[in-house]
Amino acid sequence: MSDTNAATIDHADLPSDDPHFGKATGGKIAMWMFIAQDGMSFGGLLFAYGVLRGTANDWPVPAEILGIPLTAFATFLLICSSLTMVFAVLAAKEKRQADLCKWLGATIVGGLAFLGIQAYEYTHLAHAGIGFTHSAVDGVPINSLFGTTFYAVTGFHGLHVLSGVIYLTCILKGAMAGKYTQGGLSFSPVELVGLFWHFVDLVWILVFTFIYLL
Amino acid sequence: MDDSMTQSPTKSAHGGHVSTGPDQASGEKQTQKALYITIFLVLGFLTLLEVFVPSVYSAEYSGNTKMLILCFLAILKASLVAMFFMHLDHEKKWVRWIACMPIYMGVAVILIMLESIYR
Repeated sequence: MSDTNAATIDHADLPSDDPHFGKATGGKIAMWMFIAQDGMSFGGLLFAYGVLRGTANDWPVPAEILGIPLTAFATFLLICSSLTMVFAVLAAKEKRQADLCKWLGATIVGGLAFLGIQAYEYTHLAHAGIGFTHSAVDGVPINSLFGTTFYAVTGFHGLHVLSGVIYLTCILKGAMAGKYTQGGLSFSPVELVGLFWHFVDLVWILVFTFIYLL
Repeated sequence: MDDSMTQSPTKSAHGGHVSTGPDQASGEKQTQKALYITIFLVLGFLTLLEVFVPSVYSAEYSGNTKMLILCFLAILKASLVAMFFMHLDHEKKWVRWIACMPIYMGVAVILIMLESIYR
């Protein structure tokens, strides 16, 4: 929990200091535990990817098949949406409802743009011959696991982005009703959706490196 | 992982023990925003760097160097997001330990990659 705007927060509503968790709320601890287990799910997928690629004799160079500039732009979009998300949390803490709605809206737009780029990429790759169970480049078959691992990892992440957009939309609805700008801990749900959204951004940073760049 | 971090002067207001005037609070808000924008710019710059690394270090000649640089950049970017956007810098150590749980999977991935390099 950021405390730099403490002057605007009613401290009477904040939980007392816990020797181990400080002022982290139950919701925040639960979200971190969810993030940790979700991170291990991604870790398992990347682990499997590492094993399959490391033991394959004919793994293509991803950069020769996947569109790096477009994906780099999508990565930048997610980073932008992380910035708008922290601004949304700041606005909620400072009880600025209009700003909160504006920044949440911008974050949702960033997520939707990312999903749009991913949909375009999938369509393009499918037409180029990269399928989930069979892959070919210029009609020549390549290791089918290339497509399998690519769609499994990026698809699992894409579902997280979609979940995040839906989650953000629910929070935006509450923000428009003024639920999160009433002082005290009312901003907490915005902070929790922020944690999830930053996690989605963080995972993509790793996926972009391991699946696209290496 | 040091609990004393949560006791630093900039964070003491968290517990509400230090009174902050409107000017000071406004200054802290600006500092926080400046920090977020700085992290954002650093992340953008590192992403640009990542895209250019493969073209400088081609796979045939320096695959290991390319991999090490890209892994370092990715971990650096992920750490910046976790520390400053997810505010782990303000959390006590148990929250940080929970956040660190998936790292062992990363260690396993690194071991697999090293095995494939030095096989």
